[in-house]
Amino acid sequence: MDRDEIFEKVRTIISEKLGVEEDEVTEESTLDEDLGADSLDLVDLTMAIEDEFGVRVEDEELEKIKTVGDVVNKLVSALGTEDEE
Amino acid sequence: MKCELPHLRIGEYEAKIPIVQGGMSVGISLDNLASAVANEGGIGVIGAAGIGMMEPDFDTNFREANKRALKTVIRKTRSKTNGIVGVNIMVALTDFEELVETAIDEKADLLFLGAGLPLKVPIEEARKRSTAIVPIVSSAKAAKLVFDYWHRRYGDIPDGVVVEGPLAGGHLGFKKEQIERKEYQLERILPEVIKVVQCFEELYSRKIPVIAAGGIFTGMDIRKYIEMGAAGVQMASRFVATEECDASKEFKEMYVRCTKEDLIIIDSPVGLPGRAINNHFLEEVNKGTKKPFVCPWKCLRTCDVVNSPYCIGSALINAKNGMLNDGFAFAGANAYRIHSITTVKELMEELMEDYLSSSFCNPRSTSSNS
Ligand SMILES: Cc1cc2nc3c(=O)[nH]c(=O)nc-3n(C[C@H](O)[C@H](O)[C@H](O)COP(=O)(O)O)c2cc1C
Repeated sequence: MDRDEIFEKVRTIISEKLGVEEDEVTEESTLDEDLGADSLDLVDLTMAIEDEFGVRVEDEELEKIKTVGDVVNKLVSALGTEDEE
Repeated sequence: MKCELPHLRIGEYEAKIPIVQGGMSVGISLDNLASAVANEGGIGVIGAAGIGMMEPDFDTNFREANKRALKTVIRKTRSKTNGIVGVNIMVALTDFEELVETAIDEKADLLFLGAGLPLKVPIEEARKRSTAIVPIVSSAKAAKLVFDYWHRRYGDIPDGVVVEGPLAGGHLGFKKEQIERKEYQLERILPEVIKVVQCFEELYSRKIPVIAAGGIFTGMDIRKYIEMGAAGVQMASRFVATEECDASKEFKEMYVRCTKEDLIIIDSPVGLPGRAINNHFLEEVNKGTKKPFVCPWKCLRTCDVVNSPYCIGSALINAKNGMLNDGFAFAGANAYRIHSITTVKELMEELMEDYLSSSFCNPRSTSSNS
């Protein structure tokens, strides 16, 4: 899976969970302010992402995540995508 | 049928009276109140936040002071009762994990965990020591998240859940604009939470009691929620106006004197709205007068120490000690209906009698449906 594919999947999950249009979700969007996620949404999102990608996000990491791009970056490194290319 | 109060079973504990005395920090429910409630057959709960305030090293060694004091208060409570004793710990506290560990070490029967989602909990330890864990939530969504998370991470689920509606005192798990809206009232969220919990009950073949809280005042109120499917209720404000309550006389008198209009919603440095009794202190805060302070503790993860208009820790300690010019009292929306200070025994008897005195159950009733 390359970065774009990861982003596409993340975008779909976010738009479903937060009830926002897919085009509103860019790598720069902040989860809380731009996309309106509250602390419950963040946990909900994390669990959905864990399911989709089969990875585990620790809570300490979760606290550092601000934007959609941060999520994608975390997944890229967790999945070792760069190594594959 | 069903004329008696049902017992409240949580994990391996069974209370004769299905009333949990809601944990009240800072220093409002300690060993005196908790043991009195437990002695009457309810569940007595110690409020753990800020519990170290009377320790000499509270300002210099905040975490140790809290741990030590929690230990002492649990032991003191135990020495006064053989009943069921719980500890309420706010997830937003910076020393949440340590306080949870301490309470489990001291074999608290139950932990009530609110003001945040209790996701990280040392379940194995808790199970070893027979400490049952009960999250406090204000929506079906939060209940589902906590149960889902536990189920995945721990292959286990909480032993019960408190659903706290928007009429509660203290911090509220709602946005300000939701507090008055119909769809967020306890009558609406309780059945939603019960539904979520039912799925997990089936999955684990275990009974998970759902406990209703927020604004419950009379025995009739208790009956209402039990008939809606709650296994019990959690009440706090009414227990403040008792002789056994650990707060100062001045604090209790605020409850006796306050009017409906005095009960207001404030923005708390915890990052949640809260319901409290208005006074000069809160009016000044509301006017934007900052109360400068130096924070010795950093007690809350969520407190913005630099921009916060006042220190909630100090304000609540002052209130507990009766210095209400420099603090304020949290209270539930029905606190204005309290007109006198009673004893825990009298209060619990009154609630039970009222519960039983519907025409259907009352043997003295002359109505035909007896
Ligand atoms: C003075 C006061 C302090 C409280 N402190 C806490 C607390 O530390 N942790 C918590 O989870 N709930 C706290 N609460 C909420 C109560 O435990 C309870 O759930 C709520 O007040 C129930 O509503 P009632 O007061 O209308 O019965 C507090 C409430 C009051 C009035």
